[in-house]
Amino acid sequence: MPVIETHDLTKRYGRRAAKSVLAVDQVSFSVEEGQVFGFLGPNGSGKTTTIGMLVGIINPTGGGFRLFGASGPKGLLAARSRVGATLETPNFYPYMSGRDNLRVAAAIKGVGRARIEECLELVGLADRAKHRFRTYSLGMKQRLALAATMLNDPELVILDEPANGLDPQGMREIREIIRILADRGKTIFLSSHLLWEVERTCSHVAIVRKGRIVASGTVTEVVSAGKSALLRAGDEDALAAALEGCPEVMSVRRFEEGGVVVGLHSDDLAAVNRYLAGRGIHVSHLAPHRPSLEEVFIDLTRGDFDPMTEIAS
Amino acid sequence: MSGASGGGTSGQARAGGLRSGTVGLLLRIEVLKAVKRRAFWVAVGLFAALNAIATVDNVRYARLYPENTYALPASWPDILTGLTGPGPFFIAVLMILLLAPEFSWRTGRQNVIDGLSKERLYAGKVIVLVGLIALFTATVVAIGVVGTLFSPSEGGPEFIRSTDLSYVGGCILNLLLFCSAGLMLSTMIRSAGPALGVLFLYILVEQAIAELVSRMGETMRGASEYFPFSITQDLGNSLVHYPEQLAAVNSSRAERGLPPLEFLAVEVLAIAALAYSAIFLVIAFLSMRKRDL
Ligand SMILES: Nc1ncnc2c1ncn2[C@@H]1O[C@H](COP(=O)(O)OP(=O)(O)O)[C@@H](O)[C@H]1O
Ligand SMILES: [Mg+2]
Repeated sequence: MPVIETHDLTKRYGRRAAKSVLAVDQVSFSVEEGQVFGFLGPNGSGKTTTIGMLVGIINPTGGGFRLFGASGPKGLLAARSRVGATLETPNFYPYMSGRDNLRVAAAIKGVGRARIEECLELVGLADRAKHRFRTYSLGMKQRLALAATMLNDPELVILDEPANGLDPQGMREIREIIRILADRGKTIFLSSHLLWEVERTCSHVAIVRKGRIVASGTVTEVVSAGKSALLRAGDEDALAAALEGCPEVMSVRRFEEGGVVVGLHSDDLAAVNRYLAGRGIHVSHLAPHRPSLEEVFIDLTRGDFDPMTEIAS
Repeated sequence: MSGASGGGTSGQARAGGLRSGTVGLLLRIEVLKAVKRRAFWVAVGLFAALNAIATVDNVRYARLYPENTYALPASWPDILTGLTGPGPFFIAVLMILLLAPEFSWRTGRQNVIDGLSKERLYAGKVIVLVGLIALFTATVVAIGVVGTLFSPSEGGPEFIRSTDLSYVGGCILNLLLFCSAGLMLSTMIRSAGPALGVLFLYILVEQAIAELVSRMGETMRGASEYFPFSITQDLGNSLVHYPEQLAAVNSSRAERGLPPLEFLAVEVLAIAALAYSAIFLVIAFLSMRKRDL
């Protein structure tokens, strides 16, 4: 039984057609127990909206989903007691201390005081727990959110862009906590617009673009689903120009280490070779190319944003 | 970085927390949030101080001039005026200050993510409403009654009369209507400043319209008596609850050649207040349930 299962989940913000935004468009995926599932997509692609629907604060306008096999308001409410989640920024009472904020969450989740101290300890906030949330740095706020998420010892942990705004040290700490949780058999669903974050922490990935899932599976599957080939020739400018016209070819780009990488509609390399030969171009190298997740991601979300600045950030 | 899991008993505790004693649970959460909030203590403290000052004055006059009796049950009208006047405004402002930020801080959203249903989130707000009304009423009654202990005046045989109970009820309904409006505005507007603005703007607009339509003839003037703010004003008016006070006022008006004052029956005012409150609470509930958090 999948831990999360969505079918054609859809959210349209706004009622009037002209002004409405189709934020999530018939999204179907499933997350099995024990997976570390990355929900990867550029900003505005519908990640937060999807998670919002899963955690019950955004009403879907179409499709549906199950958590631990449960659907319907009653079943989902019960299922959510097995979930710990944060959405976008950490949401706490600014005038209350970290500890008092956790007392509110603990009361809702029905857990005792000892567990609050354990979780504060876990995220390294024990010595600042008596200070007001308002006075916390962003990293501390994120860690408090993580502590609140852990209170009920959830089987499913949902984190929306957990590394957002953190320094490299903070990100490493988050990754470490995720790894510990995964080792304990927790299912983790995390969204990110940072490709390498997903590549480093996740076993499975769904790439989302403009509210639609464009690829999903294990990280390896997604990578190998992108059929591509590396070609070399004496005159690579002519090679690249000729490839632009080839019907088999989806995309053309220069490879950093020399050569041209093409995305293909099929894995019929012979057809590409014949096409080039017909135009008088003889290749010195033609072989399947295993793209990185980065290349797949860029290919699949091309045109949405400048990938280099996103990845550099 | 160890102990990410643990809490082996949390499963049972969690089930208990969700199933049993929902009201107790919600009350505990709302009390924790309120007592840590400075605005709460400032508002309650200010309200209590205003009442204390009025009570001290009453006691002082009773000591200086014995004809100014300050004793129960005769002084209930004096004591309960603490719940009218600025009382309803205090409570509405406090209601909005406690509720609206749950949206701007997105803590209401987090409460639901943490496992509170939207219905229970709403129920928590109704508990705040009931709690504030109880707190304000208890503050006024306690300060007033304690004041009578320091007064030299002789009390009557009863502690409270039926007319006093009617006035207490009117004051409570007055507070209820203001609180329900505060709850509705908080959930619909989701931001404290604008919600307060709309509340006060509404009161001004209602009075302007009432003024306007009262010039348009007797039936229109009669209709304006059913406006929500007008209902609260009448419910908090002691003349509505004490026939002998009204008779005295009207006879002095007659001497000056003025027409007598007339009010809607207490029962009608009470039903109207309950109906408005119910409408406001239902609108708030539907808005809370239907909209994304
Ligand atoms: N409350 C809202 N009202 C209208 N549009 C919204 C709202 N929330 C998000 N959107 C729009 O929905 C799309 C998806 O947003 P979001 O789910 O936040 O994306 P992500 O988390 O992937 O950055 C965006 O175009 C965004 O502008
Ligand atoms: Mg987002």
